[in-house]
Amino acid sequence: MNEQPPSHRELFIGMLQVALSAFGGGLSAWSQRIVVEQRGWLSNEEFLTGLTVARLFPGPNQINMAVYIGAAFHGLSGALVAMAGMLLVPFTLLMLLGVAYFSFHTLPAVDRVLAGVVAAAAGMALSMGFKILDQYWKDPVALLLAAATFVAMEFFHVRLVPVVLIAGPLAMAWYWPRTPRSPGQP
Amino acid sequence: MTLSSLLTTAMATVSATATVTATAAATVTAATVTAAAAPAVSAAASAQCTPTSLTDLGHLLQVLGTFLGLSLFSLGGGNTLLSEYQHISVHQFCWLSPSQFANLYALAEAAPGPSSMLVGLLGLGAAWPEGPWWALLSGYGAELAILLPSTLLMVAACLSWNRLRNSPWRIAFERGLGPITLGILFEVGIKILHTADTNAAGVVVSLVVCVLMLRTRISPLWFMAIAGLLGGLGVINR
Repeated sequence: MNEQPPSHRELFIGMLQVALSAFGGGLSAWSQRIVVEQRGWLSNEEFLTGLTVARLFPGPNQINMAVYIGAAFHGLSGALVAMAGMLLVPFTLLMLLGVAYFSFHTLPAVDRVLAGVVAAAAGMALSMGFKILDQYWKDPVALLLAAATFVAMEFFHVRLVPVVLIAGPLAMAWYWPRTPRSPGQP
Repeated sequence: MTLSSLLTTAMATVSATATVTATAAATVTAATVTAAAAPAVSAAASAQCTPTSLTDLGHLLQVLGTFLGLSLFSLGGGNTLLSEYQHISVHQFCWLSPSQFANLYALAEAAPGPSSMLVGLLGLGAAWPEGPWWALLSGYGAELAILLPSTLLMVAACLSWNRLRNSPWRIAFERGLGPITLGILFEVGIKILHTADTNAAGVVVSLVVCVLMLRTRISPLWFMAIAGLLGGLGVINR
């Protein structure tokens, strides 16, 4: 760890560097390389704690990670500066891409290429559930909860917000940590 | 029956046939109909879904309010919100046609940076009829709206993490919401596949990409580049 905590400006530039290095993917790995290895702002352990918090709380993981890094040094203002550094360039690029899309998407050639890209993107979306399925494989209650959530949304068209508000508290009650003596805990 | 609603019905029937039976004949028909009807698609979509009539400012506030309210429900890194985004922008507020939504999702996945920036594109699309400057304002606003509540909660969590770490609430929240996230992600995958609505070749590509995403560490950019090429050559269409 450095003696001197990074200033707002350094936070912004650091996150900007992470965002620019990660063009092409691997945002999390770049963020570790730059924040932990190059700049020494956080120890590896602090960084991993940050990943845990970022995954646990609502919001996109990588952006939550930037918020964690910023908040560690300057609270809310640090979080906002770090987030701005992370998002400014990629988001502006995406907005320009969006403007180009809405201006030209009626061209048949553009539509044809996009039809292909959409098929690949749909495959990526389909893989998301399978990616985390492994960790629940040995917990029948978890699989039941997942199946009930899926059925409610897919076949009964229940929307996300009521699903989370109803199933969330039920699942939390079931998984509430009990004393070690009580059986049935995974 | 108007021409546009006729076209919509015809297209829905044909594309459903193409996906279900996957016969070569149906695929060819779908290709022809799609090509012929391409300029009418947006008209058909707006005929299906009637947007609420609001002033420009009212429209912007609708966008901001919608995403502010959803922010805290983005579990599992935000991907759980995708089918809700689809419902809101295609069926509830009629900002986009289903294929436009699929296109924007693909753009957000392909572009550098976190894929959750899709919300900015949705905001852009919502205000596109009001001109590019309003659309950009709406896009930046939508992204800020979806990030603000979760960021505030995240800052609070960071500052009190030492107390939260061993709290039973934290443990129950983490363990309990995991399985729900799992269920939602499967529903999201199927919803996106439906919305993509490609021909049989496209569905095969989707399934292959899904398996490769799970079994290999190849960058997804390659999959999108190759699939885009297949689309350009006309192998994949919708």
